[in-house]
Amino acid sequence: MVNPDVVGAIARLRAEGVLSSVQAARFERVARRGLVSLRFEIRALLYAGVLLVTAGVGSLIARHQQEIGPVAIALGVGLAALGCLAWVGRRAAPFSWGPVPSPGVAFDYVLLLGLLLAAADLAYVEAQFAILGPRWPRHLVVVAALDLLAAYTWDSRTALGLALTSLAAWRGVVVGLAPALLGPGIAADLRANAIALGALSLAVAVASARLGRKPHFESVYAPAGLLLLLGGLLGGTLYDAQAWTLWLLATLIVAGLVMVVAVRLRRSLYFALGVPAAYVALVRLLFEPFRYGSHADSLPLLLSAGLGAGVLALILAVHRRVREE
Amino acid sequence: MRPAAIAWDRAATVQAAARRWRDAGAIDDATLARIRQTFPDPCLTPTPAWRVLTAGMVAAIVLCVFAALLVSFWRSAGLLQAALFLVGAACLVITDRLAGSPRWARRGVAGALSVLGVGFLLLGVALLVGESLRLGEDAAVDAVAVTALLLCGLAAWRWGSPLFTGLAGVALLVGLARLPSARALWIAAGAGLVAAAAPRLDSGRLAPSQRRGAAVLTAVGLGAIYVATDLHALDAGLLERLGHLAPTRPAVGGSQRLAAALGTALIPPAILAWGLVSRRTLLLDIGIVLLALSAVTLRHYVALAPAWVMLTGGGALLAGAALLVERALRRAPAGERAGFTAEPLFSDERRQQTLEMAGAVTTFAPRTPAPPDEGFAGGGGRFGGGGAQERF
Repeated sequence: MVNPDVVGAIARLRAEGVLSSVQAARFERVARRGLVSLRFEIRALLYAGVLLVTAGVGSLIARHQQEIGPVAIALGVGLAALGCLAWVGRRAAPFSWGPVPSPGVAFDYVLLLGLLLAAADLAYVEAQFAILGPRWPRHLVVVAALDLLAAYTWDSRTALGLALTSLAAWRGVVVGLAPALLGPGIAADLRANAIALGALSLAVAVASARLGRKPHFESVYAPAGLLLLLGGLLGGTLYDAQAWTLWLLATLIVAGLVMVVAVRLRRSLYFALGVPAAYVALVRLLFEPFRYGSHADSLPLLLSAGLGAGVLALILAVHRRVREE
Repeated sequence: MRPAAIAWDRAATVQAAARRWRDAGAIDDATLARIRQTFPDPCLTPTPAWRVLTAGMVAAIVLCVFAALLVSFWRSAGLLQAALFLVGAACLVITDRLAGSPRWARRGVAGALSVLGVGFLLLGVALLVGESLRLGEDAAVDAVAVTALLLCGLAAWRWGSPLFTGLAGVALLVGLARLPSARALWIAAGAGLVAAAAPRLDSGRLAPSQRRGAAVLTAVGLGAIYVATDLHALDAGLLERLGHLAPTRPAVGGSQRLAAALGTALIPPAILAWGLVSRRTLLLDIGIVLLALSAVTLRHYVALAPAWVMLTGGGALLAGAALLVERALRRAPAGERAGFTAEPLFSDERRQQTLEMAGAVTTFAPRTPAPPDEGFAGGGGRFGGGGAQERF
C-alpha cells in the first residue's frame, strides 16, 4: 500500500534536513509503492514447495512401497537427501561461530528439504529393517545429531529447532505449551525427561551466549528449554497428587528465577514464559482447599481473579522498570 | 476513531518506518532520534511479548470473574444472560476508556477486553434468543450474525481495529448466507466490499489502522467472490450448508456449473494480474492463495496424475517458479524489474525467519515414540520420521 503518512513525513524530514535528498528519494519511492519487495512471496512459495515435495514423497512411499521395494525407496530418498545437502555444502559460506548470512534465498529451503528427507529416510529404514530393534526410537537421536551438525555447520536456526524437537521426541516429549497444561497429564518419567532436557537446553543457551559460540542460537535454545523445564515442573504441580506441593515450590522458585534473570537480561519472552507458569501453579494452590467440596464454589474463582490482578500489577510494574532502565 | 488516536496512529507508523530504515542501515541512531522528536508518539507501546502476556492475564481475570458468576447463577437462565450482558458491556466501556488513553491504548488490556466484551455479548444474545425467547437455533444464529455485524462494525468505527473490521465483514457474509439467493448476494456483497475498500487502501484521510482494515475488507470481499463462484463450493453446497443448520441442496444447473468453472479458473489470475499492475503485494498474496485453491479444485475433478505426482510436481513447480522470479529480479538492472525487487528493502526479515522457523519446527516435529511396553511395531512400512506421514 502507498503509505501517505510516511510519504508526508519524508517530505517534512527532507525539508528540515533530517534526511538527505538521496535517503528521502529512496524511502519515498518505497513508501509510494514505486519499488515493491517480493521477498516474502518468494520465501513463502519456497516454503510451500518444500512442504508439498515432502508430502509427495511420503505419499509415494505409503502407496507404492510394495511395487517399488524398500531398498529402492531407502536408496532413492537417501540420495535425494544427500543431493540437497551436497548442494547446500557447495553453496555455504565459510564456517563462523558468529551469525553467517545466507548465501541465497533458496539455501535455507534446500537445507530444510534435505534434512526432512534424511529424517524420513532414517525412519523408513528403521521401520522396514528394524536395525535398532526394540530401541528403535534411538533413530531420533541420529536425526537430532544430523540436524545439530547441520545447524552449526550452516548456521541454521531452523535445523537447530528440528534437532531439539527430535531429541525431545526421542525422550517421548513434545516441545510446546499445550500438552502439560491441557492434556490428561504426563507420566513421571516423561516429566523427568522434560525437566532434564529443558535444563540441558538452558545450560547450552547460557554457554552459547557466554562463550560466544553461536550466541544467536540462544534465541532457540532458551525458549525451548524454558518450555520443557517449566512444562515439566507444572505437570508435576497439576498431576502429581502425592508430591504436588514440592512441585509447586520448585515451579515457583524456577519461575521466579526465570523472571528475575529475564528482567536483568531484558528478555521479555522469557519473562512472558515464567509468569504464566507461576500463575497456574498458584491457581492450583488456591483451588486445593475447595477440591473436596460437595458443590461448585465461586470463591476460588474470585481468588484466582484477585491473584490475576496482582500478577497484572506485577507485569505492569516490571515493564515500567525495564522501560526506565 | 478519536482525532487524538488517529494522530498517535500516524506518528507510530512514521516511527515504525524509521525503525525499519535504521535496522536496514539506511539511517543511523541519531537520525532515528530526530525523527522520533519530529513525530512524537505519546503512546506506550510494549513489545509483542509484553502485550500478549498482559492480554492473557486480563483475559484470565475476566474469565475467572465470569466463571464465578456462572457458578453462582447457572440455575437461572435470566440471571446468566444478565451477567453476560453486564460483563460484556463493562468490558466494552472499559475498552473505550483505555483506547483514549496514550498510556493504555496499546498495552494489550484494551485488545483483550474488546474481544471478550464482544464475545460475551454475542453469547448473551444467543442464549436470549435461543433459550429465553425459544425462537429456535436458526433465529439464534441470525440474531448473533446481525449483532456481530453491528458490534464489530461499531468497534471498527470507534477503535479502528482491523480485526473487528474483518469480523464485521465475515458477519455480514454469514448473515447473507442465510437469505435466499445467497450465492448472488455473496458475489454482490464481495464486489461491494472490494469496491468500497480498495480505493481507500492508500487514502491519506484514513488512519493507518483504518487502511489496514480496508485491506482486510478487500481480502474478505475477494474471498467471498471466490467462494461464491468456486465449482467445488457450488457442487458441495458450501453456502447452503453455512446458511442453514439443516441444509437443503438445491439442484445445480449446467449453466451455473459452467459459470462456476469459469470463475474458478479466471478469478485467481485476474487478481494476480491486478496485483502485478497495481504493485500491491496484498493482491498478489490473495491471488496466489486462490490459485492454489483452484488447483486443488481442478485436482478434485480431473485426476491428472496420482496424488504423489501432483504433490511433488506442485512443490517443485512452486519452488521453481519462486527461484525463477528471484533470479530474474536479481539479475535485472539495479536488481529491479517493473518496480519489483527480490531485496527485502525495509521489511523485518528476522521476524519473518523466526515465524518460518516456528512453523517448520511445528509442522515437521517428529511424532513421539509409543510407550516402551507396547513394543515396537513396524507398521508395515509406516512412514513418519521428520514429521512426514503417510496420510495427507
